[in-house]
Amino acid sequence: MTEYSPFEMIAYTGSRVLEDNKIVFVGTGLPIIAAMHAQLTHAPGLGLIFEAGALSPILDIGMPLSVGDTRACHKACYLKGLCAVFELTQRGHADYAFIGGAQIDMYGNVNSTFQGGSYGKAKIRFTGSGGAGAMAANCENTIVIMVLEKRRFVEKLDFLTSIGYGDGSPDFREKAGVLGRGPYRVITDSALFGFDEKTRRMMLLEIAPGKTPEQIQEKAAFELLISPQVKEMREPTEEDLKLLREKCDPDGYFLGRKLK
Amino acid sequence: MKNSARSKKKYISNLDSGEVKKLTEEPFEWWGPSPEKAREVMVGKSKALVDKRTALKDAVKKHIRDGVNIAIGGFVNTRVPISVIHEIIRHGAKDLTLSFQSTSICAELLAGAMILFPDHVSIKRVEMAWWGYEVIGIAPLLRHLASKGMIRLDDYTNYGMSARFKAAAMGLEFIPVRDHGGSDMERVNRGKMVKSPFTGKNTYLVPACYPDVGLIHVTAADMYGNCRVFGPLCTCPEIAAASTHCIVTAEKIISNENIRTYANLTEIPYTMVDAITEQPFGAYPGASYGYYWFDMEHIQMFRSISEDFRISGNIEKLKKYYDEYIFGCETFDDFLAKIPDKTLKKIKRMDGSQPIILS
Repeated sequence: MTEYSPFEMIAYTGSRVLEDNKIVFVGTGLPIIAAMHAQLTHAPGLGLIFEAGALSPILDIGMPLSVGDTRACHKACYLKGLCAVFELTQRGHADYAFIGGAQIDMYGNVNSTFQGGSYGKAKIRFTGSGGAGAMAANCENTIVIMVLEKRRFVEKLDFLTSIGYGDGSPDFREKAGVLGRGPYRVITDSALFGFDEKTRRMMLLEIAPGKTPEQIQEKAAFELLISPQVKEMREPTEEDLKLLREKCDPDGYFLGRKLK
Repeated sequence: MKNSARSKKKYISNLDSGEVKKLTEEPFEWWGPSPEKAREVMVGKSKALVDKRTALKDAVKKHIRDGVNIAIGGFVNTRVPISVIHEIIRHGAKDLTLSFQSTSICAELLAGAMILFPDHVSIKRVEMAWWGYEVIGIAPLLRHLASKGMIRLDDYTNYGMSARFKAAAMGLEFIPVRDHGGSDMERVNRGKMVKSPFTGKNTYLVPACYPDVGLIHVTAADMYGNCRVFGPLCTCPEIAAASTHCIVTAEKIISNENIRTYANLTEIPYTMVDAITEQPFGAYPGASYGYYWFDMEHIQMFRSISEDFRISGNIEKLKKYYDEYIFGCETFDDFLAKIPDKTLKKIKRMDGSQPIILS
């Protein structure tokens, strides 16, 4: 059995959920690695958008460490600025968004603005929305990467930065004036979640080998729906790990990290 | 001002509704010139093709005053106007409003100056989307100022801020966007949800952002201020067009003849530019496409000093950075002289850009 780290499992799972011949809007870190791996395996026709302005670059001179760096626009087909690429998302050119954050709720709403205290005097102020709020609004499907912990899978967010299904009402997104379909997958190292079509609530789809749905539920502060056909998460093969470690993140910036 | 529409039936986060109410009831005001004022200033300017090459010190002295709204160009570590930021810190300016989409060390340097020398530099409020260091980590000085309630923050998305600059570039008061609605930014920022006059559907409007002074670093420009940008444009053309005044630094000054050979390559025309300075490595330790990559080590060094201050409250190391790298330098070239040659060589090598056109 090959050993792999939690971040390698997340990157591999991220790769698996991306389809060929689609466009994914990515940020730095695990999303880039997931997209690179997908391009090298099952999705050679997958295109990338980087918010500083690049559409479909070829990431063969190293993993970008900043979404605006030279590597992120290497041999792009189109290179403009933020307005251009976000307007592509409003117009339906981006099939997937990869976002992260500090907290997520059962409807896939995400917080990356602050935690504790008040908005004007935040105990822990985070970076703010950046592109995430716009990506979650207007890319067609939102994929969230998150560490599975009770303090992150919360009942109530401290601040709703990136829109999911809101309060779960069927017309929430329409009333919000956004265009994308909404949350699609939530990827963690030990579980893969989707969303129930009827209730728009988070639903457990796959679990890591050796884990039970009860163990996953213990790590979320809200009640998870469990798919009637929960599958086991596929593990990366030796070949996948080789690609991840040698081609995608050879310096181990993200895959080499340890879970806190 | 009341919203004429809202996206939600019920609010679902812990955000304090009393605080939201206070923000919502604030009458709208421009955090910089009004569209009319911005136009008036532009109309009053000479449109002559004149040599606008200026020493940074003089450009800053002329345009940066207490209370102005400063727009920071570039994106996170890319083409950031660091050399102007150093000069502003030396010059001093209080009660600043900062506007940007995403930035890292530029805003942190100003925040650090405010912490160390509050009577010399201070930030009153920030309209922004993102403030951090990407892979290097969160911004410690933002976290410090926010936790003490020392700056007013106004949150948008990266598109929201870009569209706000674009609206100002178009001479508008506001622009409709397809984001913010349904998020708590709808509740706290200065945008408004309204009903579309055409279909009655909910539509989010963000106010235009007209900065007093735009700070932009570009790949190349002529002495009149016609600018070429290679690599991502970020929101630089929109910021230059939105700003009442614009201070531009360029890696290289090229001839006007070259500019006129490929006019399609001009992203910022001379009428938008008030001062132009040739400043090689002007974005250092950030990156400038075609010339150098960012210096991760220097950025990490400044960030860890900042984080150290945030945790310990001890300002000594932070102050030493400013004494050494900013106040101990008369010009940005003096600062660059303190950076080891091998570092500059290394980041030049790491750039790995495709060809840029200077001819």
